[in-house]
Amino acid sequence: MDNQLQAEKKNVPFNRTHQAIEAERMLRRIKDGFQDNPVAMDYFYDLYEQVYCKGESLHKDEKVIGTMCVQVPDELIYAAGGIPVRLCNGFYTDDQVGAEFMPAKSCSLVKATLGMLDKRSTLSFVDKVENIILPATCDQKRKAGSMISEMGYEVYNMEVPPVKESEEARLYWQRSVHNFAVSLKKITGQKITKANLKEALAKVAAAQKAYRTLHNLRKMAPSIFLGKDAFMVTNAYFFDKIENWTEAVNKLNAELEQRITEKITAAQRRAPRLLFTGSPAIFPNLKLPVLIEESGGVIVADETCSSSRMLYDMVAVDEYNTENMVASIADNYLKPCTCPIFTKNDDRKRKLINMARDFAVDGVVYQAFSGCQVYQMEHSSIAKALKAEGAPMLFVESDYSPDDMGQLSTRIEAFIESLKAKRRRKR
Amino acid sequence: MRNKISNYLNNGDLKRFRFWLQLSLFIFFVYGGYIAINIGDSLPTFSCTYVDGKPGTCFLVPLQHRMVTTPEKLFSYAGTAILTGLFYFTLWFLVFNKAWCGYACPLGAVQDWITALRKKIGMPYATYSWGQFKLLKKIKYILLLLLIFIPMGIGSGIFSHDMGVPFCMICPARTILPIFSGDFSQLTIDFSSKTKMIMTSLGMLITGIFLVGAFVKKRFFCFFCPMSALHYLLSKPAFLKLKKDGSKCTKCGDCYSVCDMQIKEIADNITDRNILQDDCIMCFKCVAACPEDGALEVDFMGQPIFEATVQGYIKRMEKANKNG
Repeated sequence: MDNQLQAEKKNVPFNRTHQAIEAERMLRRIKDGFQDNPVAMDYFYDLYEQVYCKGESLHKDEKVIGTMCVQVPDELIYAAGGIPVRLCNGFYTDDQVGAEFMPAKSCSLVKATLGMLDKRSTLSFVDKVENIILPATCDQKRKAGSMISEMGYEVYNMEVPPVKESEEARLYWQRSVHNFAVSLKKITGQKITKANLKEALAKVAAAQKAYRTLHNLRKMAPSIFLGKDAFMVTNAYFFDKIENWTEAVNKLNAELEQRITEKITAAQRRAPRLLFTGSPAIFPNLKLPVLIEESGGVIVADETCSSSRMLYDMVAVDEYNTENMVASIADNYLKPCTCPIFTKNDDRKRKLINMARDFAVDGVVYQAFSGCQVYQMEHSSIAKALKAEGAPMLFVESDYSPDDMGQLSTRIEAFIESLKAKRRRKR
Repeated sequence: MRNKISNYLNNGDLKRFRFWLQLSLFIFFVYGGYIAINIGDSLPTFSCTYVDGKPGTCFLVPLQHRMVTTPEKLFSYAGTAILTGLFYFTLWFLVFNKAWCGYACPLGAVQDWITALRKKIGMPYATYSWGQFKLLKKIKYILLLLLIFIPMGIGSGIFSHDMGVPFCMICPARTILPIFSGDFSQLTIDFSSKTKMIMTSLGMLITGIFLVGAFVKKRFFCFFCPMSALHYLLSKPAFLKLKKDGSKCTKCGDCYSVCDMQIKEIADNITDRNILQDDCIMCFKCVAACPEDGALEVDFMGQPIFEATVQGYIKRMEKANKNG
């Protein structure tokens, strides 16, 4: 097995590897399966093609630092002169490789990330990563840490409190972030100063501003932008050069605003509006969002750690000295975080209810990767809270394998039909 | 038109507005008397009676004076005087609520200027731990009780008359504000009697603590201010209100991290509509730092006058990130 894969890597050109083919297939489906994609989306389609189909590096002479969860403050890494790249991976090919590290019933995302980091994977050569920041979030990520360090990576374990409401948790996390800020100097060789942290804050804030505009544009009814493209945009934030990303999103926003005046819509007037939540949709595992939109629904909002949870909440700073900036950043990465690893999920419920109202959604799709216990465990309480709001929820347990495609499409079509019928009844 | 005005206000630069208003009101409260302004002696802010050019007097002065009385008199004519004073105080207070602290108080302004000085040096500010916070916040109520009961004790002959206006004796406004009109005479220890010596020494000591405290901690004194305690007792019916819509709050904590008074409830409380806490100085920095449309707002008699908007937030944040 090992030798076979090694051989494959050596002899096969990148674009003929399993990963590249998997990426190309999904990219084509997203690009060509829909009409009238915004022109500004070409930037993102090309970006994915460049990185995942051609295997070109985006950060050649930079110090790339891998991050494993949303809780790692990008601002600090930028300030220390590094480039944060989220390693959370969506490739089925890597999921299969990673399967040998984890028990059979574990999360595809964790397995795929392990598989990608395994030296046999093609993707691990796209951007050279030596240092990986791993927040102690869920059990599987926690345990993956030691396996990753056995593979030869430098793993920095960032401690995350299991409860986020208490003052102890806040201080504990502030200390954890502070220690991380200090340790970054050893990793990148550059100390975080007032000046470079301020610059990093502005950089991330500009990206978040662009995201917030896009997020709010999706409130338009009928919808002017499809969820599959939104996932492509936010997912690109994982690995793209932040300035380029921000510029591309701003262009996209301008085009979408143009579309509003020209009354060009992305979905039918009657298309059910959906809110997507749960386990993150990460390229190329966009099968669920794509299936939804192929079946006539439109995802108008999402609450996942690959999109809104990562980019929505912005840092406010009162005094621009390093200590206070780091503390403000720390608060912002913990307090509003709706990750299901925390004891309570009241904030997530509130956020979903508020989003369901703001985006006038007809229903909610909740994706949980099989093996992701925390998302599975939260599902019934979320369903209940949303039901009380009058938003029906479809719970989908899935993984990266394409085997359940048929079953999924039947369920999704039925759900969308039921939402359409409900709408008709309302009228 | 209405929309235009509210947009203008919501996008406004609160920091600049507050700086100039504070400065103007400081000038008014320290020099206003020189142009023969007199707005009475029931003011809900530290318009210090020891300042030469004061345009009016802090309510705590007449309150302490009038409490020097016997219980019998307190329930007859002396009580009327106290209630009349309280009535005018309430009228003043009801209009602006605790914004008297954040915008009008000259001692508050002095503290903000000391903070600005620390900021210039690039020194980070100090904070209390949660335990300290909960303990220390009680001090202002104790001071309020003392400034009522000590004068009553004087009236009943328990304390000497040298204990008169006991809070003023230890209040840093008495020692510091007169300096701005060139009067350094309050910075002395009075040796005429034992009581006076102790009280004025305590005053000097607290002035020293005030200067150091205000330098390391934002709005150091406000946390202990008995005026703030008195305000809070009357703040429920006030016209100016700080309101929160918990359903719109993501608990991002931006409001908390800019709060000079370390008020946790502003970020964590998602149930109360009227979010004003006893330590709040109504500076509204939290509203300016809130990136959620309508999550926090300042109301005057039910009319929103300053509302959190993402647009306004971004405008202010970009400016701050540039100028810092």
